[in-house]
Amino acid sequence: MNRVVNVARMQLINKWTYLGIPAIIMASAFLITYAIWAIVPSGGEIIYSGAAQSVMWYFLALGIMSMTLTFPFSQAMSVSRRTFYLGTVGLFAVVALAISVLYYILGLIEKATHGWGLNGQLYALGWLAGEPALVQIYFYFIAMVALFMIGFWFATVYKRWRATGMLVVWIAVAVVLLGLVALTTWQGWWPEVGAWFVAQTPLNVSAWASLFCAVLACGSYLTLRRATP
Amino acid sequence: MLIDDSRPIFVQIAERIENDIVDGTLAEESQVPSTNEFAAFYRINPATAAKGVGRLADEGLLYKKRGIGMFVAAGARAKLLERRREEFFRQYVQPLTREARKLGITSEQLMQMLGRSDSGTQLPEGSVAQ
Amino acid sequence: MTGTATSEVISVRNVSKKYKDSLALDSVDLTLEGGKIYGLLGRNGAGKTTLMSVLTAQNFQTSGEVRVFGQRPYENDGVLSRICFIRESQKYPDDFTAAQAFQAASMFFGGWDQPFADRLVEEFQLPAKRRIKKLSRGQLSAVGVIIGLASRAEITFFDEPYLGLDAVARQIFYDRLVQDFTEHPRTIVLSSHLIDEVANLLEHVILIDKGRVLVDEDAESIRGSAVTGVGPAALVDEFTAGRAVLHREAFASLASVTIEARLSEQERAEAGELGLELAPVTLQQLIVRKTMAATGAELAVVERENDPELEATK
Repeated sequence: MNRVVNVARMQLINKWTYLGIPAIIMASAFLITYAIWAIVPSGGEIIYSGAAQSVMWYFLALGIMSMTLTFPFSQAMSVSRRTFYLGTVGLFAVVALAISVLYYILGLIEKATHGWGLNGQLYALGWLAGEPALVQIYFYFIAMVALFMIGFWFATVYKRWRATGMLVVWIAVAVVLLGLVALTTWQGWWPEVGAWFVAQTPLNVSAWASLFCAVLACGSYLTLRRATP
Repeated sequence: MLIDDSRPIFVQIAERIENDIVDGTLAEESQVPSTNEFAAFYRINPATAAKGVGRLADEGLLYKKRGIGMFVAAGARAKLLERRREEFFRQYVQPLTREARKLGITSEQLMQMLGRSDSGTQLPEGSVAQ
Repeated sequence: MTGTATSEVISVRNVSKKYKDSLALDSVDLTLEGGKIYGLLGRNGAGKTTLMSVLTAQNFQTSGEVRVFGQRPYENDGVLSRICFIRESQKYPDDFTAAQAFQAASMFFGGWDQPFADRLVEEFQLPAKRRIKKLSRGQLSAVGVIIGLASRAEITFFDEPYLGLDAVARQIFYDRLVQDFTEHPRTIVLSSHLIDEVANLLEHVILIDKGRVLVDEDAESIRGSAVTGVGPAALVDEFTAGRAVLHREAFASLASVTIEARLSEQERAEAGELGLELAPVTLQQLIVRKTMAATGAELAVVERENDPELEATK
């Protein structure tokens, strides 16, 4: 069997990491939210819950773990870095796609049941649910991939340049972000910035996120090429 | 220790087989253990065992039966005894005669010494043993 | 390409690896042939693991060329799938059990032999269903050893695999190694500092010290290449005059001198006549003495360079 596919199978040997834990997080997010809605009646208004994104943060951690925990072992299994990369990121892409489709479907069900019979809004997010199906699915997908890649990229930086590298990256990121904030404040651009953000459609955001992911994907692959287990 | 560090292992393996041939443990036309068996028993590298066996094969003391293994060649014992007698001459007799000359011992005196009954130096009478 | 006995499987040309303040590998030149058991010997930190990492592209040389099966191993799945390198302190995915590690190994090593792995699990008394992070040091080593053996990879590296294994487990490893090697010939590279235990298994010895190759020889030709003479100091020194001395020890009027020499029958007889005792030198003693001699030569150079009187005479 193809070695790339085998890397994916290897990541799945422990069913919890890629399948079990996300399932638990999503299930409990739903159940807890539902329980809260049931206990605290809304009186006809829509109750919002952001619990759907709770699993996304796990994907950030998953990105890190995929690198730090499995990469050294994959080297022992005589797997090239490229194969490891394709297999791991590829597996995650499949998982993310599946969950995105699931979210879309749950959104449909939510609308059909008038918010799960309690006017709740968990999956069919107001500003997203009106978009075509593909846009919605892609949005979820790229958001999950972006978080995964952030974690993965950080972990590859660590594997290649160790603590020093991490420090440099953290400081650089902080400097850039703070620099942007400072610049925006100083130039009084906040109103324009705010307006621009509000004007973004899910499709726009997805496009930016795709660009971001592409950069991270290239960056992490190039960093990985010289990483040692 | 079965194997020591004084000489290459393959030499020691070859010598063990030779000893077994000389003292009759390994009769002519009987099968010699395989190199894998040697390797496992002495816990040595199989290539080393093969080298020891190979050396004896090269000297005509062993021969290979295809698909079965290595066997002791006919006349191997006689060959070995002859060789060891030659070595005996070089290793013991020559130094002995050198030393005897230094001490001024004549060949008659040497024969007398060999005949002395008090020190176990007597040798069996007769011609060369088979 | 199959591993026929005389084909070159690994070629190392002038490989060096520099770290900021040290040279882990220093102009290493080696050629390894297929179908042999190689011993990679040397002190801790001599460069054994670094060399093996570079050969398997898990780490990278600073300069020089490495070829495995005639190709560069870096990112080369074709070459990598035929080799196996389990480190001394190998990390396994969190929560993996030994059985799961073997399952993964079966996916990547084409020659993986599961029944063989199962037999080894029993022999090493390894709790295969327990989490690896809960295993003792010895059991952890056993996992690596089992993967290395059952992978049947054409080139298998064992990096100090016996750390943590007790004497019984080590003996099991040596026995299974020799046995499996005879049934499935391949190239094995065994790094160790327990030289005496593995000495008889090796066909070829490579000694590394401070990143440099000190010895690269057939094991059998090393055996008997040194001898120790013991006796009255003056006589020993007379006998060993003009020879390369590896080590000299004096006690009262006696001296024990180890020299690099293959003595003929005559020379042995001479020693006997002088009243000297000749003792064989084990591979371990030889390796230790050679390593120390190399260090001593270095120290002598350093001392000369640091000696102001000598400097003044330059």
